[in-house]
Amino acid sequence: MADSFTLPLRPLIEDRDRPDTLPAEIAQINNQWGSFRDVNEEVLRTKIAEEYKDDLDEDENNKNASDLDSTERLEQLYKRRKDIIDFATQAHMEAMFAVDFISLLLSKDTPRQAETSMSPFLKQIAPLGSLNAEVVNPPPKPDSTTKDISAVSRGWRIQNFNGAANKLLQAASRLETEVASETRYWNEVLTVKEKGWKVSRLPREKQALGVQYGFLEATPIFRDRGLASLRRAENGSLILDKGLIPAKARFVRVRVMQDGQLVGLSNSTTPTNDEETIESRILQARDTLYEEELFHELVREARATASYGVTTRRNLIRIPASDNLEILLDLVDANENDPQPDQDISQNGTRIAEGLSHTIRILLAYAHRQNLHRRTLLPLPLTPRKRTIPEHQLFRPALAYIQHMSHVLWLQSFLKDISGVLHSAALDIPAYTKHVFSTRLTKTSSTPTAEAVVERFLVPFESTFSGKLLTPRGSFSIAIRTYLSSPPFGTNFEVSCTMPDYPDSKSPGRLSLREEVEAAITHLLLLDVVFTTSSNGLPPPKPEKDTKENPVWEAVYPQHGELVLSSSNPEKHKKIKIALSRHELSLQTYTVRCIDGSGRGHWEQPSQTPKHYTWGTPLACHQSLMAVVREASS
Amino acid sequence: MHEVLLFASVPAHQHYELLQQLAGLTAMQPRHCLERRLIFKAYRKPGLMAGRTGASQDIQSGDLQRLNKMLNGSMYYTQVVGPVTEKDFGAAIDSDMHMDGTDEKPEAYRYDYEHQPWRLEFRDIPEAGTRSAVTSRQMSSSSLPSGDVMPVMSAWGYNFVNEHVVEGDLFVHNEIVIFLQRVLQYPTDQEPSQPRQQMPPLKDMMPLEKSGSYVLQASITVQDGSNQETMKLASQHLFGLREQLKSVIRLEQADRLSLDTRAK
Repeated sequence: MADSFTLPLRPLIEDRDRPDTLPAEIAQINNQWGSFRDVNEEVLRTKIAEEYKDDLDEDENNKNASDLDSTERLEQLYKRRKDIIDFATQAHMEAMFAVDFISLLLSKDTPRQAETSMSPFLKQIAPLGSLNAEVVNPPPKPDSTTKDISAVSRGWRIQNFNGAANKLLQAASRLETEVASETRYWNEVLTVKEKGWKVSRLPREKQALGVQYGFLEATPIFRDRGLASLRRAENGSLILDKGLIPAKARFVRVRVMQDGQLVGLSNSTTPTNDEETIESRILQARDTLYEEELFHELVREARATASYGVTTRRNLIRIPASDNLEILLDLVDANENDPQPDQDISQNGTRIAEGLSHTIRILLAYAHRQNLHRRTLLPLPLTPRKRTIPEHQLFRPALAYIQHMSHVLWLQSFLKDISGVLHSAALDIPAYTKHVFSTRLTKTSSTPTAEAVVERFLVPFESTFSGKLLTPRGSFSIAIRTYLSSPPFGTNFEVSCTMPDYPDSKSPGRLSLREEVEAAITHLLLLDVVFTTSSNGLPPPKPEKDTKENPVWEAVYPQHGELVLSSSNPEKHKKIKIALSRHELSLQTYTVRCIDGSGRGHWEQPSQTPKHYTWGTPLACHQSLMAVVREASS
Repeated sequence: MHEVLLFASVPAHQHYELLQQLAGLTAMQPRHCLERRLIFKAYRKPGLMAGRTGASQDIQSGDLQRLNKMLNGSMYYTQVVGPVTEKDFGAAIDSDMHMDGTDEKPEAYRYDYEHQPWRLEFRDIPEAGTRSAVTSRQMSSSSLPSGDVMPVMSAWGYNFVNEHVVEGDLFVHNEIVIFLQRVLQYPTDQEPSQPRQQMPPLKDMMPLEKSGSYVLQASITVQDGSNQETMKLASQHLFGLREQLKSVIRLEQADRLSLDTRAK
């Protein structure tokens, strides 16, 4: 377009630089030097000689001046000074005359003003307003003067046109760059808008554009920070002006410590790309805002959960998760080099860290949705009290999960150990069944799937273990429940059992310590072993023997694992003492000399060296428990 | 409880635009509401006029005084509000009249009057002589057993007067509930003596205002109306909204007597 339309702004300049025409020059020479006819060699020589002499005279004068002595110089100085003063006086007088003249001329129109600049002498001799001036037709100027004037004015005009043209061209080029940068600016704004960002006028600064990248449902201080103005740089590129907020990218780092050693680390979620497009800057601003809000909410939650031992420092949250696991959350710069060496980082730890870092972010997004839901409900009546917003659940569910898993794994390993001990004694306890995270949610149709998925994570966790015992119809079940968001806080185990053979046994109910659970289950299995032993610890009665004298291992103190085989001889009661722990099952057989064989403590007098059998340890007995019992009873 | 209100009239052609603007202001999508509103009028049961009107010397005890005040106090119109959905309009009545069941489609939606939830809304006449430029009045809402409300209401001494339908969109802006609504009338002219069991199709419903214009109602509920601070705060919130919407609509106080709910 610029090519098709060119407007000449500079005036057309005729080529005036060509030399004067030859006749004019000849006329000039004739005028100055006389006719060419008079020019001959002699004339020219005398001319040159004269010029040379003039130069010499000047030199001589200079030389004479330097030779003058000081008195003459002083005289000359005074003379010159007098001359200067004379000239000045004369100039002053002429100026005064001029002032008088002008004043007299003006005194006709403005007498008062003119009077002030009149000399007193003039005032005396000439009355005010006695001089007038009128425009008279000037005499016609000669052609040459008119020509000169027109040439000069033409020159001036050309010069001014040139100046104007230069200014216009400058303005045009400035406008052009301005248009280019404006075009670039608006194109970039359009790209931002086409990417789906909300572009709007700033509420405080009406003439500036802003882009909204924050989250509408965030905490008010972070919601209001989600708006940055789009400013134009000199060259038209877009600048994201976030005001005083530093432009650094930050993120919440999750570190997992095991026994004081760093075992897992979560990485920055956003890829740090070096190309600085406006899109990436907006994204970075949004992510940083999200991370800062996340950390803010985490600190709020950490303060609320101080009772779990969660501690907060200025920029660090320390959460004891389970056993020897500790989780550290802090807000760090995204491009900060990690000073920690990577040698200790295990895959498992990294998995926990990454999982936790994803969990807290998903839960914050869920909390935003809940905020929207809460905001659009019909508001409660206005009261003077301010309602506090409850802390969002961010790390608590993950913490509950970790604790729950830790308890489940512990229980699993405990059951494995103890059933291993029983198996090594050839007591075939049936395998238990487990349902980890058996919580069932009643799915309401109104919640969207995404929220329903997260809701599953927010309810108390429950896992159940159930199995059968050695005694017929006997069974046990253990339910582990972990609550971190609603009371009762923490994990509890609900152990229940049914033992039809031992009606006195009661389910231990709700327990909260691992030691208690271990003791309860061990005790339960001990009772089970005792009753199994008493019911089929004897070899099948021989048919020729008298059936009514068939002796029986009687569980005298089942809680202590004691069984007695009564004998007709009061000195020869046989006794078995069974002890069960997580790692071993031990059995002791001896003969007691008690009346009924049921005495305990110091009443019990072992008559012979007791025999020890253990299972589950390296020095284990190779016989089965039943075989040992049968041997003892024979 | 008290409520503080401002009203504005919205012409039909501005309705869609205003919906957009309100959605932007409140940052939420409009929630479409359809409500059946049954109007009931309280009446004095003849046998219960216990007050002695003659000049009596004996001083009434406090309880009796209060009872008399309750019985002889002014009577009010109240409304019973039941939320319905668009599907309820024009749906077949839920009854067991067609026992053969051969010609019925099983998926046909039925309006279940027997399980219609109801809410009793009482609104007092707006307070007189308040200096403030908002309408404030005493209000109370309570839920009623769902199903047929007639036995309950007549037992409490209310006569059924009329019913209409309110359709509109609801927005929540902090504490302010913005309800952009209009009243629809049933097509038939005759006055029914009890609430309808069945509703005509929605397109047959006639707007009460023939031009189809809407009313914008901005309200804040205040727990304790005697607390001047809270009432002032609520009014200020409403004035803030009025300023924000100044270029679109003019929110103003309603005429007190047009909101008179007293039964003469």
